[in-house]
Amino acid sequence: MSRRGNNSGGAASQGGGEGEIDLTPMLDVVFIMLIFFIVTSSFIKEPGVDINKSEALSTGACERGTIIFAVTATGDIYYDKKEITLDGARRMAEAAKKESPKANFVIQADEESPTSVLNDLFTILKPLMDAPLCASTEEAG
Amino acid sequence: MRKRNRGANEEEAEIDLTPMLDVVFIMLIFFIVVASFLKEAGIEVNRPDKSQSDPSDATSIVVTITGDDQIWMENRRIDIRAVRANVAKLLASDPEQSFVVRTEPGATSKTLIAVGDAAREAGVLAVNWPEEAKR
Repeated sequence: MSRRGNNSGGAASQGGGEGEIDLTPMLDVVFIMLIFFIVTSSFIKEPGVDINKSEALSTGACERGTIIFAVTATGDIYYDKKEITLDGARRMAEAAKKESPKANFVIQADEESPTSVLNDLFTILKPLMDAPLCASTEEAG
Repeated sequence: MRKRNRGANEEEAEIDLTPMLDVVFIMLIFFIVVASFLKEAGIEVNRPDKSQSDPSDATSIVVTITGDDQIWMENRRIDIRAVRANVAKLLASDPEQSFVVRTEPGATSKTLIAVGDAAREAGVLAVNWPEEAKR
């Protein structure tokens, strides 16, 4: 009874060191933030290599472009911070597409990367794609 | 002891929220850390199906990038800065024309993306990039 008495008695909760703070509003805020971050997180696996992207005036957002491959200047393919072969890329792409069927593919191609590698990668990804491939570029100007 | 007895029996017993709060905070921090707000931006490139790509299709604008990054259009070699104007000129006669960029082995992405960008700026519906011929 003593705690209850303290709470309802205004003097004790204002002045007393043991006054309880109402956590409900904070909990509301925390829950809303939690739900927001759960919904927005899409678990992008970044290629993890430095790519010198080309500039393009018509750069637009890649809708749901969350499966990202990178092609370096030397023609190496990177996914999830690892260098992979074309065959590996196929397996990775299939697994990623299975995991999130709505995701679209993005290729970060270095300015100097040969189109032949890009072409091979595109050929592999083509059967899995349901939207145009997004070639990552830098906004010009 | 008095308090626990009361808590067990009374309907108005207060629940201790502290452990739940701990869990919620840890989840919150986890999702904040994991959330990558990175938005990829780029240009869209289509690959036509093999069946529908017809090389003799006269109604499409074709730009060819050779192995040494030269840009050829209508049997002329053109500069990268002229691609946009040339595509826009062809597009003016028929705005529904499809745009095709062909590459030969040895070309670099820079040229391919520059041509795709110029065509998009000129107003093509989509940039089509058919499979590259093997060397």
